[in-house]
Order: sequence, then C-alpha cells, then structure tokens
Amino acid sequence: MAVIETRNVVKRYETGGETLTALKGIDFAVEPGEFVSIMGPSGSGKTTLLNLLGLLDDPSEGEVLLDGEDVTGLSDREQTRARKRTIGFVFQHFYLIATLTAKENVEIPALFDRDPTLEGRSVDLLERMGLGDRLDHRPDELSGGQKQRVAIARSLINEPRVVLADEPTGNLDRETGRQILEEFVAVTERDVAVVAVTHDELVNEYVDRTVNLVDGYMGEDAPTSTGSAGEHGAASDADGAVAPSGAGERDAEPDGTFEGVESRRDDSGGDR
Amino acid sequence: MFGAVYRRLPSLLMARRNLGRTKVRSILAALGIVIGVIAIASLGMFGLTLRYQITQSLGDIGNQVLVTPGEDSDAITERDLREIEAAAGPEARVVPSKTRITTVRYGRSGSREPSAVGEQRTIQGIENPGLIYTAAEGEIPEPYRSGALIGPDLAEQQDLEPGDAISINGSSTRIVGVLAAGDGFGFASPSNEIILPNREFQSRGYSQVLVSTRSSTAANETAVALRSRLNGRQERVSVQDFSSVAENIGRTFQALNAFLIGIGSISLLVAGVSILNVMLMSTVERREEIGVMRAVGFQKRDVLKIMLSEAVLLGLLGGLVGIAFSLVAGMAINEFIVGDALLAFRPSNFLYIGLAFSFGVGTSLLSGLYPAWKAANERPVEALRS
Repeated sequence: MAVIETRNVVKRYETGGETLTALKGIDFAVEPGEFVSIMGPSGSGKTTLLNLLGLLDDPSEGEVLLDGEDVTGLSDREQTRARKRTIGFVFQHFYLIATLTAKENVEIPALFDRDPTLEGRSVDLLERMGLGDRLDHRPDELSGGQKQRVAIARSLINEPRVVLADEPTGNLDRETGRQILEEFVAVTERDVAVVAVTHDELVNEYVDRTVNLVDGYMGEDAPTSTGSAGEHGAASDADGAVAPSGAGERDAEPDGTFEGVESRRDDSGGDR
Repeated sequence: MFGAVYRRLPSLLMARRNLGRTKVRSILAALGIVIGVIAIASLGMFGLTLRYQITQSLGDIGNQVLVTPGEDSDAITERDLREIEAAAGPEARVVPSKTRITTVRYGRSGSREPSAVGEQRTIQGIENPGLIYTAAEGEIPEPYRSGALIGPDLAEQQDLEPGDAISINGSSTRIVGVLAAGDGFGFASPSNEIILPNREFQSRGYSQVLVSTRSSTAANETAVALRSRLNGRQERVSVQDFSSVAENIGRTFQALNAFLIGIGSISLLVAGVSILNVMLMSTVERREEIGVMRAVGFQKRDVLKIMLSEAVLLGLLGGLVGIAFSLVAGMAINEFIVGDALLAFRPSNFLYIGLAFSFGVGTSLLSGLYPAWKAANERPVEALRS
C-alpha cells in the first residue's frame, strides 16, 4: 500500500480576484522505501504538491491519503499530529534553529514529548550522518552539507514513513549534493520513502523514478535520465515491483498535456 | 541544574535561547518592566511610609477627646461638665474652655503699649491651661487669675514676649507666657491661640471641653462613654476623638496611595507596549523558524507556549530586578522619612512589592498574548514560502 497518495487533487489559489489553478488533477503515489523526484519548471506546482503531501495545505478538490487513510479535511490539530507521526521535512534553506545546537535541532520535532530515549536517538542519527563530533555545534558553526545532514537527522527523529525534501541540494555544491543524496538513498534503504522536489538533474541519478510536473499536470513517461549510483541497484529492483501502475491510466487522459516523463532507474552505471 | 529544568520545560529552553539571541533588545524590554515594578513598589511603599509616619505622630497626641455643644444645645453647661468629668474618670484631665471673638491689638516691637490697629480674633478662656499646655517663655501661673497666654506662632509674628501688653476688647493685658509648640496635630494646638483666665468671660456654659487621657485607647473609650452618657434622646454634645480623624487621614492616604500606584501603572503599561513590540518583531523575524516547527509537528499551542514563555521570562527577569531595586528604594525612603531603613521590610511593604511583581509579570503575559497568538496561527505554508 502506498505510504502517501493523492487522488485527483486540484489546488486553486485566489489572488486579487483571479483564480490560479496550481494543480489540475494530480494522481500520485509513493511506496515505502521509494525515492521519487518531482521535477518541473518554476510555477509548475511542485511546491504546492509537496505542501499538500506534507499536510501543510488542503487541496481544493480531491483527496490526500496517508497510509491509506484520507487526511483531507482533518483539523489543524489532527493534521499536525499525522504530520509529526508520518512525515519528515527537509528544506532547501535547512531552516535549522540558530539558537539550538545540532543535537537540539534534531530533537526539535519531539521536544514536547518528554521522551527519555530522545537524546539517544538524536545522537544515533547524527552519528549515522557522520556528525558524531558536531553534536554541540550551533548551525553557524556547520557547513552547508553538515547543516543539511542535521536537517535530515531532524526529519528522521520521529521515525516517519516518508521524508519530503524541497530542493534538498539547491543550496549545496555538486559534491556535497551527492553526499546528501547518498544519505537519502541510505534513508530509503530503511524502508522510508523520500520525495524530493527539485530542479537539480543530479538528483535523478539517485532516484528510483522521476515524475514531471508541468502547468499543474503530472506526467510519468519513459526514462530520460541514464546515470545512477551503482549501489542503488538492489533498491531500484525492489521498487520495480511496487511502482505505481498509474502510468497507463494517465496516458489515457483526454487532455493529452503530459509533457513529463517517468524515468526509472534500471541500469547500474556508476557516475562517480 | 538548568539542564533538568529545560528537559522538563522545553519551551523555557527555547524561550531563553531566543531571548539570548537578541540580548540588547530583550534587556531593554525587561528594563521597561523593571522601571514599572520599581515605580509601583516604591510609590506604594512611599505612601505607606508616609502614612506610618503620620500614624506614629498621631499616636503621641491621639489621647485627646474634644467635646463641643451638640445639635440640640448652645453651650456645654456646668451639669454637662460634671457628667463629662465623671465619664472621663479620675485619671483624665478635663479642660473646659470658653471662646469669644473680639478685637485684639498688639504692642509694637520694643514698645510696652498696644498699637492702635486691631484685628478680630477668637480668644479662649481656660481655667487651668497648665493641664494641656506648657510655657516656652514666661510661665503659666498656678492658679491662673490674670494675664494672657499666647501661642508661639503668634508671638513670633507679632514679636511679642512675656511682659508685653496686648489690648483685648479695649482693656490692656500683660502677656505672662508664650506657649510651647505642640506636635502640630491634636485639638490643643497652641500655635495662634490667645488664652485668658476663665473668669474674664461672662458667658454661661462652655464652648468646648478638652479631655486628655492617658492613651489613645482610653481616649477612644472615653469618647464612647461620653456619647452614650450625654446623648440620649437629645444630642447635647458632639464628641470628637482621633479615631475618626485617624480614619480620615487613613482614607486620604489610601487615596494618595492609589493615585501613586496609578502613576506607577502607567509606566508598566508603557513597558507592556514595548514587550508587545519586541515580541511582534520577534515573530516576524522568526516566521520561517516557527513555520518549520509547525511543519515538523509542533501544535499551535506548543508555539503559543514557547512565545508566552518568552514574554513571561522577560516579565520574571524584569520583575526580579525590579524587586531588588525596589527594596533598595524602600530602604532609602524609610531611612529618609522615618529614620530606620529596616522598616522597609515591614510585611505591608512586601504586599506592594508582590503586587508590583505580579503586575509586571501579568503585563508581560498580556503583551505576549497577541504576538504569541499571531505566531501560532500563522500557516506554515505561508511562513515557509521563500
């Protein structure tokens, strides 16, 4: 069963008397452990979709399902609870809290839980990210890649089912970006899905599939990307079995505006 | 130690760190509360100390009861006087007096004869003034049969001394004594009095009777006894004692205190506005941060808690510093007015300090409410749109 799913989701914004339709009927699903990228030009509705997936916003039409449960129309309180339980966030600008140490930043999502294991878990996560010696550093004492790794650790502290990443490599140089993407791949190996919204073609070397979003429509088509990191082969093979079967249906849609493609990583060609 | 506290109250940790981030601004905001707390506490203590000082002075002379003719009577008769003496008991001194308004002329300085210009004054006839007055210059004759006694202020104004002559109602009289100044309160204040022997007055009955008892408690009891004994169906006498005067003074000071605290509260109001401003700025600056916290699973009330903790922390900080300064101010006030700095630690002073402190914290909390509410209700989507 898909960990997160949208069914015919439409999102409209009212701006100055005009109605802007950002998403025009999106069907999208992510399976556990899958690494999916959402690509598209600016204004294509990528971030809107990510906000809907993250329960940060409600769709105008259609529904969002989390673990098969319809979460549209829930109260803010219930949505917040569902978000905390199931979803982790990673942002382009890291959004670490400047006054807190790396360890405290990782603990933030669970700060009010009075959980005695919290500290141990945050230390574990940071060690997993290779930041065992940076626990008590403030964000301004960390490099961009380190900050993003702290952010990934933060997104994982509540053991989510899916991590939503908004331009996770957008503020990083290419090499650091690769390291971060490696971390995401490692995350997916623990059966946590990762959905990354990005402009960065580099991301597609690591993902299991890419969906394209243009003008509020989504298309999943033939592969466009060729590169991939070798060690992900096993993961992508596993993904193949659970990959969404919706492509065909979508192809049959009458408007025929699909410009996007789904790229499935099926080779093991190393690019490093 | 703090670690344990913060683990239990994570919002406090966040709040403290956030305040630490903008130290100068936080300190300035807390300074407003400090000033407000000092204003309320020290003005309250000031009023209280003044009142204390007045009550102390009243205590010395609050042992007097003044009896004047009541509504149903023109004068106090000899019979009334005997009843007053009986009610007052053997230990009290009962001094009846008569009054008259008449023309008085004073001697010019150095001259032994009264001047030609006179003024209308009330003069008193007392048989035994030595019971309630003492002489600063000259003497109060015993028994008192002739000569005039004058109050110290009058003596100074007119440059009079014992031996000088004044003319009362056309007849010249020698001054035999100048009275010593009293405490400034009480019914028997000698400052501007002119006193003649009782027998110089022809009128029957007395215009007032002053009863001087051992203590203010005795004065109060005497007053009660007099009222019940003399005022049956008719109000023959009107009895005044210091309990009512003290009450009046007390009320006046209560009003004064309320006024002073009102002034102090204005400074707290200003402090509240400055905290409101600081917190609003803080919510705008930390919009994204708050958005992230909401995104990663903070409920609205968690954000509310953090923001309110900040406001309360500012209030607590300001309040505690304010208390420290207020105590110093209170000691200075008490040293200055009553001459004993340690009187600043009277329990009633702590009432004002507590009041000021809770006003300070309360103001911060109230000022924090709107910014906290605003921060908590910001939609994370809006906050994170960069």
